[in-house]
Amino acid sequence: MKSRFALALTAAAVSALTLTGCVVDTSTPAANEDDAELGGSLTVACGAMEDWCQAITDAFEKKTGVTTDFVRLSSGETVARLNAAKDMPEFDVWHGGPADGYGAAADAGLLEAYDSPNAADIPDKYKSGDGSWTGVYVGALGFCSNQAVLDKLGVDVPTSWDDLLDPKLKGQLSTAHPSTSGTAFTTLWTQVTLAGGDEDAGLAYMRQLHNNVLQYSKSGTAPGQTAGRGEVAVGLVFSHDCVKYKEAGMKDLVVSFPEEGTGYEIGGVGMVKGTDNPTAAKAYIDWVLTPEAQEIGATVGSYQVPTNPDAKTDDRMVDLSSVNLVDYDFDKAAAEKPKLTKRFDAEIAPQPKE
Amino acid sequence: MSIDTLHPAPAPTRPRSPGSRFKRLDTITKIVIVIVIGILLILIGYPLIRILTQAFTSEGRETLLAIATSPVNRTVLWNTIILGVVVGAVGTAIGFCFAYAQARLQFRGKRILHLIALLPIVSPPFAVATAVITLFGRSGLITNQLLGLEYNVYGLSGLTIVLGLSFFPVAYMNLLGMLRSLDPAMDEAASNLGANRWKIFRSITIPMLVPGFASCFLLLFVEAIADLANPLVIGGDFTVLSSRAYIAITGEYDVAGGAAYSLVLLLPGLLVFLVQRYWAERKSVISVTGKPSGRVALIDSFWGRLPIMTIVCAIAALIVTIYVTVFVGAFTNILGVDNTFTLSNYQYVLGGIGSDAIFTTTVLALIATPIAGILGMVMAWLIVRKVRRGRGALDFLGMLGLAVPGTVLGIGYAIAFNRPLIIGNLQFLPALAGGGAILGGAMAIVMVYVIRSMPSGQRSGVAALQQIDPAIDEAATSLGASGLTTFRTITLPLIRPALLSGLTYAFARAMTTLSPIIFITTPQTKIMTSQILSEVDAGRFGNAFAYCTILIVIVISVIGLMNYFVSDTRSASRARRASRPVSKDVSA
Repeated sequence: MKSRFALALTAAAVSALTLTGCVVDTSTPAANEDDAELGGSLTVACGAMEDWCQAITDAFEKKTGVTTDFVRLSSGETVARLNAAKDMPEFDVWHGGPADGYGAAADAGLLEAYDSPNAADIPDKYKSGDGSWTGVYVGALGFCSNQAVLDKLGVDVPTSWDDLLDPKLKGQLSTAHPSTSGTAFTTLWTQVTLAGGDEDAGLAYMRQLHNNVLQYSKSGTAPGQTAGRGEVAVGLVFSHDCVKYKEAGMKDLVVSFPEEGTGYEIGGVGMVKGTDNPTAAKAYIDWVLTPEAQEIGATVGSYQVPTNPDAKTDDRMVDLSSVNLVDYDFDKAAAEKPKLTKRFDAEIAPQPKE
Repeated sequence: MSIDTLHPAPAPTRPRSPGSRFKRLDTITKIVIVIVIGILLILIGYPLIRILTQAFTSEGRETLLAIATSPVNRTVLWNTIILGVVVGAVGTAIGFCFAYAQARLQFRGKRILHLIALLPIVSPPFAVATAVITLFGRSGLITNQLLGLEYNVYGLSGLTIVLGLSFFPVAYMNLLGMLRSLDPAMDEAASNLGANRWKIFRSITIPMLVPGFASCFLLLFVEAIADLANPLVIGGDFTVLSSRAYIAITGEYDVAGGAAYSLVLLLPGLLVFLVQRYWAERKSVISVTGKPSGRVALIDSFWGRLPIMTIVCAIAALIVTIYVTVFVGAFTNILGVDNTFTLSNYQYVLGGIGSDAIFTTTVLALIATPIAGILGMVMAWLIVRKVRRGRGALDFLGMLGLAVPGTVLGIGYAIAFNRPLIIGNLQFLPALAGGGAILGGAMAIVMVYVIRSMPSGQRSGVAALQQIDPAIDEAATSLGASGLTTFRTITLPLIRPALLSGLTYAFARAMTTLSPIIFITTPQTKIMTSQILSEVDAGRFGNAFAYCTILIVIVISVIGLMNYFVSDTRSASRARRASRPVSKDVSA
C-alpha cells in the first residue's frame, strides 16, 4: 500500500543517513610532499594593508603559477583564528604584522619552523632564533597628528609620551585595542619597556592614556585615518601608515616621534603548522625575503623599511637611525602578550573615562 | 509584517477520542514533521546547547561571575540595557509617526514615504553609521563644516540615531498593519458623540495601539542589544556586551568567555521575546473579523496634520540625506576632507576580493532564500493546520532563530560546527564551519541565513493561513488528497503573498546581516558585510560607501525580480478573496 511503501522508503533513507556516520579515522594523514611542481593553491593570512597584500599575492601568483588567496587580519585575530582551526588549518602562511604575534603563535605551537636559504641575507636581529618567523620589514611607532585640529585645540605637535596625557587632548586620541591589533600591542609593550620591564607601570600609563582615547578600533591602521579625517587630533600608528594617508589626500597629517624612545615592529613571515601545501608555502617564504619582493611595498604606498639590505629604499621611508628606538625584547613581548592583553581588556578598556 | 491575532471562524465541535492526535495524521505529514523538527534541532538547537555547555564550564563560570561582580562589567551590562530601552522607545516613536501619517493623514507622496521608510531594511548596518560619522562627526559635513559645531557623535547619542533609524521600519510595518485593521466604526461612533480629532486620538486610537507599542518596543529592544556592528564603529567609550563578546572571540579566542557573554545577552533577548509573543500580542484589541467595515476618514486639516507631518518630514529628510551621502561618498576620494571625484573606490571594490565577496554573498543568499521561504511556509502550515498539541512548542522552536541575538547565534555556530560532531567513534556531522570544512564553510553560512530568515516567513504564513477557512482543506482531504497534495495545490497558491513577503525579507536580511556571519567567514567564503566592516574599521569610508551602494542595488534588483516572478495573478487573488470567512458563498 502507498503509505506503507512511503514509510519503508523513508525508514531506508534515514537509516542510510545515520550509517554514513563513518568511523573516525584517527591515523594522521601522510604529509603531502610530492607537490614538487608548483601548482595548487596557497592561502595567506596577511597582516599589513590590503593593497599591499593584493600586490604581493598577485606578484607571487604571476611568478610561480600558484593560485594565491589572502585574508586581511589583524595580529591578535590571526592568532585567534590559527588557534581555533588548529586541527584543520585554513591558512598556509602568515605574512605581515608585528613579530610579537608570531612569537605568541610559535609559543602556542601554531607555527612550523622553517629556515629559508634566503634568510641568510637577513640580519640576525630581524629573525627569530628558532626559524619560526623571519622579518620582512621594519616600522617605527609614531604619532600621526592632524595639524589643523591641534591648532584649534591650541596644542603643539606631541614629541613625548607625556604630551599625550595633556588634558586638552581629552577624547582626541585614537588607538587600537591590543587584543586584536599588533600595532596597539607594540604601544603597550613599549610602555612596559620604558618602565624598565615593570608591567604594572606600563599598564598604569595606558590607564592614564585611556582617559584621552576616543574609542579603540579593531585594526591598527585605523587611528591614522581617524586623525586624518579630523575626528581626533592624534593617532598612534606606525609612521609609514601616516605617510601613506598623507599621500592619499589627508594633507593635514604630521609625523612625529617621542623623544624618550619609541617601539618598532618587525613584520614577519611564517609557515602555519599542519598546512596542506608545505612546498608552496616554503617557496612563498623564500620569495618574500628577496629584494624583488620587498621592493613591491613602495609601489603601493607601503613605506616600511625592508629587512633585506640589498633592497632599494625610498625617501619616504623613515630613517631608523634618526629615531630613538627602545631596546624591544620580542621574545619576552611574545611570551607576555596573552596575559597582558587579557589584563588590558579586563582592567582598562571598559573603564569609564575620568 | 503580520498580525497573527486574527481568529479563524470556529470549527464545529466534534467528539475527539482521547488518543494521540499524532496518530490521526497521515504518514506523509508525520514524516514532514519529523524532518522539520530534525532540521530545526540541527540549525538552532545544537548551537544553543553547545553555548550553554561552554558557558557553564569552569572558565565560563569565572567570566559569568566576573560579569556579575566586577563594577566595570556591571557598567557594561547597564549600558546595554540603557541602549536597548532608548532605541526601543525612539524606534517605536518614529515608527508610529510614520505609520500614523500613512494610515490616517491625507497628503501627496504616500508611496514615496513608504519607500523611504523601508530603505533601511535593504541596506547594511554600517551604511547609516559611516554616513552619520561623515555628516555629524567632529569634522562632519553638517555639524562642523556647515554649522561650525563640534559634536561628539560617538557614544550613546550616535548609537541611538543610527540604531533608531536602522530598526524603525520594523515598528513602522507592524504599527501600519495594526492601524489599517482598526475598525473605523469606533472612530465614527466617537465623533458622533461629539469628540474632536484630538480626543479620538487620545482616548481611542492610542489605547487600541498600546499592545502594538509594547510589542514593537520589545522587538526593538532585542535587536538593539544584539547589534554588533554599530557599537564597533560609532560606540565611542560606550561599551556594550556584544562588542565585549566580539573582542573575546576574535581577539583572544576565549571561547568560554565569549559563550558566557552570549548567555548574558541571550537571557534578556529570550525573555523579552516571550513576553512580546505571548502577552503583548494576545492582548491586542482588534475586532473579530479584522476587516474594517468602512473606510477611515483621513485627516486633512492643516493644524491636524502639522505635528506629525513635521516629525515625519524631518526624519524622512534625514534618511534621504544619509543615503545620498552614501551614494556620493562612493564617488568621492575622502568625503569631507578631499572631495575630488574618483572612481577608484569602485575599482577597488569590483576588483580583487571585492567582486569575489559580492558574488559569494549573493549566491549564498540566493541559495538560502528559497529554503527559508519554503521552510517557513511548511512550518506555518504545520502550526496552523496539522499539529494541535505541540503547536506552541513548534512555533517557539521556529521563532528561536530570530529570538536569539545574532551575536549569540554566530558564536554558537563557531563553537558547534568548527569541529565534526563525534560521539564515541562515529562521526555524525562533518565540520561545517571554518576554512577546513566541507565546501569551505559555506554550508554553515547558508544555515545561518536560513535560520535567521525563516521566522518572518513563518509569521506571515501563519497570519495568512489563519485567514483561510479550513473547510477548503477539509474538502480536499475528504476527496482523497494527502496532506502534501493539499498543501501543494490548495494552501500554497492561497498564501502566495505571504510567501513572497517571506522571500523578500529573507533575501534582504541574508544580504545585510553581519553579527552571526562575522564569526564563521573563511578564506574561501568572503562575505560582503564582513568586508564592509573591515573597510570601515580601517577608516576607508570611500570603499565602504561603494560596497554599500552595490549591496543596496543588488538587494533592490533581486527583490524586484522576485516580485515579478512570484507575484499575484488576478485569478489567485480572486480565489483568496472568495475564501474569506466573512463571505458566505465559497467558490473553490
